Amino acid sequence: MKENDPLIAELANIVGSEHVITDPTSLSVYECDGATVFKALPDVVVFPTTPQEISAIVKLANKHNVPFIARGAGTGLSGGMLPINGGIIIALNRMNRILEIDIANQQAVVEPGVVNLWLTQAVQDDGYYYAPDPSSQQACSIGGNIAENSGGPHTLKYGVTSNHVLGLEVVLTDGEIVEFGGAVEETPGYDIRGVMIGSEGTFGIVTKAVVRLLRKPEGYQTLLGVFETIDDASNVVSSIIAQGIIPAALEMMDHFVIRAVEEAFHWGFPLDAGAVLIVELDGIKAGMQGQAEQITEIFNENNCRETRYAKDEEDRQQIWKSRKSAFGSFGRLAPNYITQDGVVPRTQLPKVLRRIAEISEKYNIPIANVFHAGDGNIHPIVLFDERDEDQCERVEAVNMEILRACAEAGGTITGEHGIGVEKMDYMPLIFSPEDLAVMATVKDIFNPSGLCNPGKIFPTAESYAKLGL
Amino acid sequence: MSNSNQLHKNLVQIVGEAGLLPEDQLSHYGIDDIDPQAVVLPRSTHEIQEVLSYAADSGLSVIPAGSGTKLGVGNPPDTVDLILSTSRLDQVLEYEPGDLTVTVEAGIRLAMLQSKLVEHGQYLPLDPPYADRCTIGGITATNASGPSRFRYGSARDRVLGMRVVQSSGTVIKSGGKVVKNVAGYDLNKLYLGSFGTLGVITEVSLKLQPLPEIERTILLTFADVGEAVNVASEISGSQLLPTSLNLFVNGVPLTNSPEPCLLIGLDGPPETVEWQIDAVKTIAQQNGAIGVELYEGQRQQELQGAMRAFPESGSATPTVVCRANLRMTDVGGFINTALEANKSAPWRMRATGLMGNGVVYLAFSEFPNGDVPAEHVANIVATLREAATNVGGNLIVESAPTALKHQIDVWGSVGRSFELMKSIKTKLDPIGLLNIGRFVGGI
Ligand SMILES: Cc1cc2nc3c(=O)[nH]c(=O)nc-3n(C[C@H](O)[C@H](O)[C@H](O)COP(=O)(O)OP(=O)(O)OC[C@H]3O[C@@H](n4cnc5c(N)ncnc54)[C@H](O)[C@@H]3O)c2cc1C
Ligand SMILES: Cc1cc2nc3c(=O)[nH]c(=O)nc-3n(C[C@H](O)[C@H](O)[C@H](O)COP(=O)(O)OP(=O)(O)OC[C@H]3O[C@@H](n4cnc5c(N)ncnc54)[C@H](O)[C@@H]3O)c2cc1C
Repeated sequence: MKENDPLIAELANIVGSEHVITDPTSLSVYECDGATVFKALPDVVVFPTTPQEISAIVKLANKHNVPFIARGAGTGLSGGMLPINGGIIIALNRMNRILEIDIANQQAVVEPGVVNLWLTQAVQDDGYYYAPDPSSQQACSIGGNIAENSGGPHTLKYGVTSNHVLGLEVVLTDGEIVEFGGAVEETPGYDIRGVMIGSEGTFGIVTKAVVRLLRKPEGYQTLLGVFETIDDASNVVSSIIAQGIIPAALEMMDHFVIRAVEEAFHWGFPLDAGAVLIVELDGIKAGMQGQAEQITEIFNENNCRETRYAKDEEDRQQIWKSRKSAFGSFGRLAPNYITQDGVVPRTQLPKVLRRIAEISEKYNIPIANVFHAGDGNIHPIVLFDERDEDQCERVEAVNMEILRACAEAGGTITGEHGIGVEKMDYMPLIFSPEDLAVMATVKDIFNPSGLCNPGKIFPTAESYAKLGL
Repeated sequence: MSNSNQLHKNLVQIVGEAGLLPEDQLSHYGIDDIDPQAVVLPRSTHEIQEVLSYAADSGLSVIPAGSGTKLGVGNPPDTVDLILSTSRLDQVLEYEPGDLTVTVEAGIRLAMLQSKLVEHGQYLPLDPPYADRCTIGGITATNASGPSRFRYGSARDRVLGMRVVQSSGTVIKSGGKVVKNVAGYDLNKLYLGSFGTLGVITEVSLKLQPLPEIERTILLTFADVGEAVNVASEISGSQLLPTSLNLFVNGVPLTNSPEPCLLIGLDGPPETVEWQIDAVKTIAQQNGAIGVELYEGQRQQELQGAMRAFPESGSATPTVVCRANLRMTDVGGFINTALEANKSAPWRMRATGLMGNGVVYLAFSEFPNGDVPAEHVANIVATLREAATNVGGNLIVESAPTALKHQIDVWGSVGRSFELMKSIKTKLDPIGLLNIGRFVGGI
């Protein structure tokens, strides 16, 4: 698309020319998300502020037969916002207002560009918070969370984004503005809000959301255990669940991650530890100590080298910072990395983690692990250098073997990051052609022209070939 | 040979004699005064496929069913041809307690499933009425829940995946078996609450919960509804974590107290529960409760059972049941509006509110001579629906005599999302086979 393309002028008419980007240097900021190995330049980026403007943009895109793609904060990890064939990026950064906070009804109405953490910050003085807490919550947008159905450490007890969204306002792919669900828990008819959540930006642009707010728990107990081996730590995970305790969060870091985090931030983790577990209990203080003791006992039965308890809120925040900052330290390990996101049944964790270690050895590609252990949601971090072609090929094989191992263990290939472009090829590992055909039918209902975020989710003929199917 | 004999014979070829409900029991599955031509009880996915294909070829419609406890929900059907019940598909397929998940066939009854889970100290925290009868498939297709929805959610929050036979006979899977999964579109949400209009659910995977160490229920009695509502909002805005928080007006389960009551369910380790009991008592005493009673053991089981079965529990079987979905703060006002609208009516109206979820059930019973004056009740329902929609809520008529159903839209309007809903129905059931005309907007 040329700069003097009539479409650009029409877009500028809608949002004002200062809110349209076309020069290549500025566009390059929008060529990828957090999965930086995938890159594609959009033709133009626009920054609307109202659903009506978005509706006009979408109608224009349809008229010119040009793809359009929503973008929140660009922290996605599956290339979800990648404009693979160019087109218009509808950036939602300016739609960043919290429109309403209704404490009495424990809900809030937000625009899609609101950063996840802002919402909790806005209601914490009232004693409330927004539960879905992706590790990227300081940056990622609630619109992006809705599109990916994001989770986070506290998903274990509180569920994913879909469990916390009551209603949506959406600009559909033909430009119509429609609301689904609302301020009440249920509305009659099919749960279109539910289908919209997790549709990875392919069913329209979310312009408003009604979300639940939760009352802050009375108390927390946060424990950090240091273990000799990953096996010991995984056994702790299944024992805790087996004893009937569902912590608020149950997170694991392996020795790679411990070392990277320690070198970057100096939290005081022992560099030779095999694994660290963070277990958090929350709720009513009475009775919590008993559960904490039970967990300590499980730690000890599994060769725990050292247990730390968060003494106060500041201590607790420190522990969480060490976990949430893990991603920031991988730059020290390798120039590039891919974060995998498979989920396995909890009892399969030890086996699958061992398998991943074997895969790492077989291809001589280091793999670090930092993940939501309580959910069985693993995040193998595949470390490499994209300038090395041979490594890139091996990484591809590593990805496939890891995801195959998850599928074979009865799990899935993504627990929270989405398929995007990154995992399209692997969809046949878990879905039959018939399953995918239903998804395609549903996609046709919402996105008949295919112009809304094209080229995502569905495997191609090459994907089947790649998998040997 | 008569048509019905021919039908019988053809179906026997597919499912065998044991797979057909005896003729004298057909009325058990009757819907709005129409008995089905046949109730088929297949024993395998293959048999379901055969039945669907036979029905499609013979121009018969099919209504998927579990035990038939809630088949009446929906617009009155034009015809009831075949009812396809999954009740003989009732096995647990996969259960690894350490995973805290289970996969079952759709026809397993809730109570049966619970009995298997309890052995491992776990349970499915859904408590709709009639656990001994209702099936997991039915619970999924109606997105059912009960009082403990406040803490544990509805079927929507528990279903991880399912297998569905489409009207074409194709078997598809949605979701998976693990507790987190965002691969592809979340089609579970389409089938949950779809009331048998999109496919026959044959398998469901569910997220379980460890059994709590102890359970208690507190019953608070108040002089008026307003005070009860205040206490409920005080509790839901506190750091207490009740499992249920139900208001009952004009008929309290088990006790039949004439005064409004709040039932508060608590579970967890003993220390946690004890602490909450004290906290609830304090809030109650500060806010004008005239009675505070603690239930445990057998009596609590009975109270919980009656609470779940409401509005069927107690003396009267309700003839008309409505459910309103509201914001929490609108519940008190709505119940008062309902009481006002029924004040001089010659029947009884009971109400229960799931205070933390904004759900209100209204049950109308004891009509003089058992006759429901359709027009009068329809007017009242219309008034109440307006009251609900005016505050951003909605009202569904869950059960009503056929004559009344003909005077009201049982679902109410779904607004501009209707076009999408209609395409979902026509694209996923293109031959128009499943539970036709009974869902929103006549879908
Ligand atoms: C360090 C790090 C840690 C992370 N930790 C987690 C974690 O713990 N849990 C987790 O789930 N994810 C995690 N992620 C992934 C990512 O943050 C989430 O997927 C997040 O929801 C993306 O939000 P975003 O605003 O950045 O969306 P983007 O990356 O901008 O977009 C993501 C997708 O959403 C679509 N989209 C965005 N806004 C809208 C809208 N308004 N309407 C329709 N579609 C829209 C886009 O088209 C795209 O398909 C992490 C990422 C990083 C970099
Ligand atoms: C008096 C009464 C009060 C109730 N109160 C409540 C309440 O307060 N809250 C609540 O949530 N529920 C309530 N219910 C609902 C009831 O408990 C559930 O809906 C129950 O789970 C239905 O199970 P079933 O097996 O009997 O289903 P059925 O009655 O046989 O079927 C119910 C619906 O689900 C569809 N269906 C059933 N099985 C399948 C399948 N395998 N595949 C596709 N579609 C299927 C049917 O077509 C029908 O539309 C109440 C029911 C009764 C009778």
